[in-house]
Amino acid sequence: MRRKLTSFSIVAVAALVAAGVATAANGGLAPVTPASPNAHHTITAYWVIFAFTAAIFVLVEGLLVAFVIKYRGKRSERALEGAQVHGHTRLELIWTVIPVLILCAIGIVVFIQLPKIADAPAAANPLRVTVEGHQFYWEFDYPNGARTINDLYVPVGRVVDLKVVSADVVHSWWIPALGGKIQALPGITNHTWFRAEKAGTYEGNCAELCGLYHADMTGRVIATSEAQYQTEISKTAPANLGKAEFTGVCATCHGMSGQGGYGPNLSNNPLLTQKAGLLSIVTRGRGRMPAVGDTWNLEQLDALAKYVRTHVYTGAASGG
Amino acid sequence: MAVDVRTYPRVTWKEGRVASWLVTLDHKRIGILYILTSLGFFVLGGVLAVFMRAQLATPNETFLTKNSYNEALTMHGTTMIFLVVVPIMAGFGNYLVPLMIGARDMAFPRLNALSYWLYLIGGIVLWSSWFATGGTAKAGWWSYPTLSEAQFSPGHGQDYWILSIHILTLSSLAGAINFIVTIVNMRARGMTWMRMPLFVWSILTYGILLVTALPPISAAVTMLLLDRRGYTHFFIPSQGGNVVLYQHLFWFFGHPEVYIMVLPAFGMISEILPVFSRKPIFGYKAVAFSTIAIAFFSMLVWAHHMFTTGLGTGLDSFFMISSMVIAVPTGIKIFNWLATTWRGNLILDTPMLFALGFLALFTMGGLSGIFLAAFPVDWQVNDSYYVVAHFHYVAFGGIVFALFGGLYYWWPKMFGRMLDERLGKLNFWTLFVGFNLTFLPQHMLGLLGMPRRVFTYHHGGLWEIYNMLSTIGSGITALGVAIFVLNVWRTHIQRLGVRAGNDPWLADTLEWYTTSPPPPQNFDSVPYVTSSRPLRDLRVRLAAEES
Repeated sequence: MRRKLTSFSIVAVAALVAAGVATAANGGLAPVTPASPNAHHTITAYWVIFAFTAAIFVLVEGLLVAFVIKYRGKRSERALEGAQVHGHTRLELIWTVIPVLILCAIGIVVFIQLPKIADAPAAANPLRVTVEGHQFYWEFDYPNGARTINDLYVPVGRVVDLKVVSADVVHSWWIPALGGKIQALPGITNHTWFRAEKAGTYEGNCAELCGLYHADMTGRVIATSEAQYQTEISKTAPANLGKAEFTGVCATCHGMSGQGGYGPNLSNNPLLTQKAGLLSIVTRGRGRMPAVGDTWNLEQLDALAKYVRTHVYTGAASGG
Repeated sequence: MAVDVRTYPRVTWKEGRVASWLVTLDHKRIGILYILTSLGFFVLGGVLAVFMRAQLATPNETFLTKNSYNEALTMHGTTMIFLVVVPIMAGFGNYLVPLMIGARDMAFPRLNALSYWLYLIGGIVLWSSWFATGGTAKAGWWSYPTLSEAQFSPGHGQDYWILSIHILTLSSLAGAINFIVTIVNMRARGMTWMRMPLFVWSILTYGILLVTALPPISAAVTMLLLDRRGYTHFFIPSQGGNVVLYQHLFWFFGHPEVYIMVLPAFGMISEILPVFSRKPIFGYKAVAFSTIAIAFFSMLVWAHHMFTTGLGTGLDSFFMISSMVIAVPTGIKIFNWLATTWRGNLILDTPMLFALGFLALFTMGGLSGIFLAAFPVDWQVNDSYYVVAHFHYVAFGGIVFALFGGLYYWWPKMFGRMLDERLGKLNFWTLFVGFNLTFLPQHMLGLLGMPRRVFTYHHGGLWEIYNMLSTIGSGITALGVAIFVLNVWRTHIQRLGVRAGNDPWLADTLEWYTTSPPPPQNFDSVPYVTSSRPLRDLRVRLAAEES
């Protein structure tokens, strides 16, 4: 009975793992499928460490199980002593030196991979974007002055050099397929990079607890052709910018159509039509409402005011 | 001579059933108070964990609000670290150290009582913050500024948290000094350093680490308090402060803290494994010296928690190498423990099951730590569920399994009755299955890209499957803890537990030389200690005299 149960559970776990591997690229046995050179090299280092640690794991757990089976005694024979072995210096030296050698090997592999992970390759024309973390959205500043929210547009194949900062609390920039994390710290500038190898949308979440909406602080990298990238970031038409601001920033609390959620219902709030009052709240905050737009420029604020007046405001609530 | 009946001994209020516990200076009673209080907080912290798992069972779940989720994660972490593992180790240390070294009590009994009562007050302060303006602290157990500053965490929860940390550090500091003085000065005749029980070694290093690691956290939370309620700006960058300073101070405490918690667990394993293998520990000196080595290196690895802070390749490399160095003495311990079971007569009683379970699970937690030490890989897995899985394999699979082993092993000594073996085995297997089901899938979740401390997620597919498995596992784990409570109930309330003699396990160390439970003075006489296994020496001598 017990043996049946054991074999059943082994089969079940194996099936689960197999199903996992089949549905995702790796089922969570390794970091997500990389789409940038730094992420590729991270996975190389990961698998090398995996090989060593898996071997040690099998050795230790195997010995443990083998010893328990082989040397298992009876409770009634507690007084019976095992072999009174107090130690063995040579053996102990062996299991000190071998781990040292393994760790050296791992260290060497890591340091070989390191430059390809940490350093952006020298590129003739890297795209330099500033990433600013806010409660609870990402803001991207492009070299041409364009600004997007939560969606970072990049051309495929070009090295993207990110300057990562924060406007308020500690956030952490992380798009798993495009490499590791770097904290967005208030008052300190960090750098990271990636180079999207294929067109596509790569998602990631802020990785450092940043407050109430930490889980909703998602960022996307949208890798497109160079031409499409150029059109995307030249579309700084107020309507588009305003929409991005509303859906990326305001909608987190107030709902996608301003219907309310954590924050109050906006759609019937006449403040949306009063630009000065609106901008004062957005840039300074009030009560539980954080100063989400305290670093926004005039163009951004104008775009927001115009967007909410025409797209979110549905008229004053009817009486009653 | 006639007896004057008027001079009967006066019964004072201090001898009442409850009052005697309130005014006690006896290390054994203080130890029991510590252990029972921490078990109470363990249940509270565990309930929060089960709530969090319920919230994460399915995507876009609304069982908890995001606000209560952040409260739960902060309180769970802070409770488990500061109110469960550190004090329960102090409890075991209190109970066992004087008995193991053949002493009458701790060096400073009043200071000892103060440590316990400060701990209880600190715990009450933390948990009363549920009633504070704005609820409890919500910035995680690290409470990184600027999130924990007044601007982003208004309300009083964070202040309660700071006050509680202050009280708890005082409590631990007083306790640590007491342990060090006791162990250095009060050992039985003949108990040289190399004949000291390995658990006592671990409590000595626990004490030394507490004394070195607590001042930085006290400093850090004091600065935070001044920022919040005074007019300073240590951590407010817009006024010239630096948020990374807090991270350094916190982790300079935070990493030694890991070893403060795990070294006494190692000590318990080093006591249990030999007794139930009917063998001496394999390589006493290696195990003792590796404890000291781990303690020393633990103070040089703190910034491996900060690889994503952007410290630069130089510092990252240093902290990667120092973190890998610490794996070596840890590996020595694991192999020495394994060798202890080799050619033994393994008695698979519940304490031994937990010790073997510890060995299996801690190995896993140690090995996943190597991925985190390699900083370019850490950039990918840091702050994800992979880390949550890793440190729970160390803290639950390692420390809590050792604690349950310790509870089953020393319970008869503390309370005079044996816990039930059948329920004990059930307790072990339920916890073992539940634990692995909870935390094994979390490695995969982290690798799939799930960050830690999120109150929900929007992905279906594998994310949902692994999260659901983990939640089911947390339920089974809770059941395992409930079985322990049931076992205690049956043993003591229903009085079904068999009375234990002085030495039910045929153990090696001095605490088994006295009665179970021991009298207030512990021993009438203490034998001259001739090796690290004084009780076995006695048994061998008695057997020789009989034959």
